[in-house]
Amino acid sequence: MNFIEDGFRNAWELLTHPDDRLWNVLEVTLQVAFWSTLLALLLGLPLGLALGLRRSRARRAGLVLVNAGMGLPPVVVGLIVALLLFREAPFGFLDMIYTVRGVILAQTVLSLPLVAALTAAAVQAVPGALLDQARALGARRRQVWWLALREARVGVFAAGIAALGSSLSEVGAVVLVGGNITGQTQTLASAVLVEVSAGDYGRAVALGLILLGLILVIAAVLTVAQQGQARLALRRAS
Amino acid sequence: MTLRAHGLCIERGGRTVLQGVDVEVQRGDVLAVLGPNGAGKSTLLAGLAGLLSPSDGRVEHEGRIAMALQTSALARRSALANVEAALAWWGVPSDDRRRRALDALGQLGVAELAERSAQTLSGGEARRVHLARVLALDPDNLLLDEPFAGLDTGTRGELLYDTYELLAAPTRTTVVVLHDRVEAWALADRVAVMLDGRIAAEGPPKEIFGAPPTPEVAAFVGFAGRVEEPGGMRMLRPQDVELDGNGPLRGRVSRLVPVEDGVRVELSVDHGRVVALAPVPGPELGTEVSLRLTGGVLFPR
Repeated sequence: MNFIEDGFRNAWELLTHPDDRLWNVLEVTLQVAFWSTLLALLLGLPLGLALGLRRSRARRAGLVLVNAGMGLPPVVVGLIVALLLFREAPFGFLDMIYTVRGVILAQTVLSLPLVAALTAAAVQAVPGALLDQARALGARRRQVWWLALREARVGVFAAGIAALGSSLSEVGAVVLVGGNITGQTQTLASAVLVEVSAGDYGRAVALGLILLGLILVIAAVLTVAQQGQARLALRRAS
Repeated sequence: MTLRAHGLCIERGGRTVLQGVDVEVQRGDVLAVLGPNGAGKSTLLAGLAGLLSPSDGRVEHEGRIAMALQTSALARRSALANVEAALAWWGVPSDDRRRRALDALGQLGVAELAERSAQTLSGGEARRVHLARVLALDPDNLLLDEPFAGLDTGTRGELLYDTYELLAAPTRTTVVVLHDRVEAWALADRVAVMLDGRIAAEGPPKEIFGAPPTPEVAAFVGFAGRVEEPGGMRMLRPQDVELDGNGPLRGRVSRLVPVEDGVRVELSVDHGRVVALAPVPGPELGTEVSLRLTGGVLFPR
């Protein structure tokens, strides 16, 4: 029990007197989470809309792929991205291996199916008659898709929350692509791994608590925004 | 300006729903399309609007087409925002949208609902906003799919009379799918009856409802009685049959159905069956009554 108590005591010490390493890890974590979620949304929303709304034979195959993609093992994704980014690999010229940009890329690959699959499911639930009516009143495809996105906003928010949560807590791909380099590519989650390996449980617990707090705060803010939309919809429907 | 379909064929779900439809609407005209469920009325409208691609034939039109589908289908926004969104899709400049949206809502008598969420509107209110949304666009070709569907009788009547004035635009072609002959009488210059994916009859309402060209069309427009005569088959509406003690024909009452203004009396007569309207309580079931045929349409063999 002393072992755990010591851990929490050290954690409290670090939280009350954060050092440069902690600030750096926090900065990298937020950087990776922000950019990978943004990229996943930019790519995943149109993909989800296409998979949810377009009528083509490839649509079902695409849905299977993104649904399966939600369960992609991060370690395998990290391995593949790393193999592609090594200096001698096909994309080595991008010079992204062991960089934050590489970590962002790997994390985007992991978040993209989440955004696409959840967006597709959300827009599929939008009444088809509403979208048909928009077309019948002259709406172009871009306008119909925007309407669908707006009507499915609560589900689309869920896709964003899932992507952000995934990017904050991911370890496997981050370590393989970023190399878990202290001060450069180390995130909160991957730093926990390092501290545990080094036997510094106090620091590991502290980093873990910060990570949990960060996830909780961000999820709370987004959930409040999401439920605000849901309440608005419910109030209007009552 | 004309809206025209030539030999229009449309397939849905592997079934040919429209089978070579020819239809033409002139500028200023309102064409009402009537027909039983599954006859292809909504498919015809969707084909005219370009929402469904024809497997054969073509649609020609001048100007732009806007269509109001059967379902009101309003977005989760205010009534005003719904109309403004349609104006944006139509390409109306943003500084002109609010005025036109409010004008259209006012014309349909729902201006006071402008800021209300569409989700809180009653069926009749939503239907008015739905119609305002398409009328605000002031399209060259207007297509309405059962604009009064799902409304109670009172609301239906009010909306019918309000719509009558709004549809009478001299520069527009209008096609409206209806279920009710009364609505067609009120709104349309011409009526097309669709049966099994084809236009079975087309003409002025008086002609189609008074002298239908085929027995199938006659049966659809309310000629429920059939009597075999030497020259062919006579089809009769209830108003073509008069229960008269001095009438030359005898019929046995086979069915009595109470209706709004009396009793609908079904009678078996020699070589046929007719339907008449009688005041309450009407004759007794199974009794013989005298009657006289005062009209109907004779279809030669």
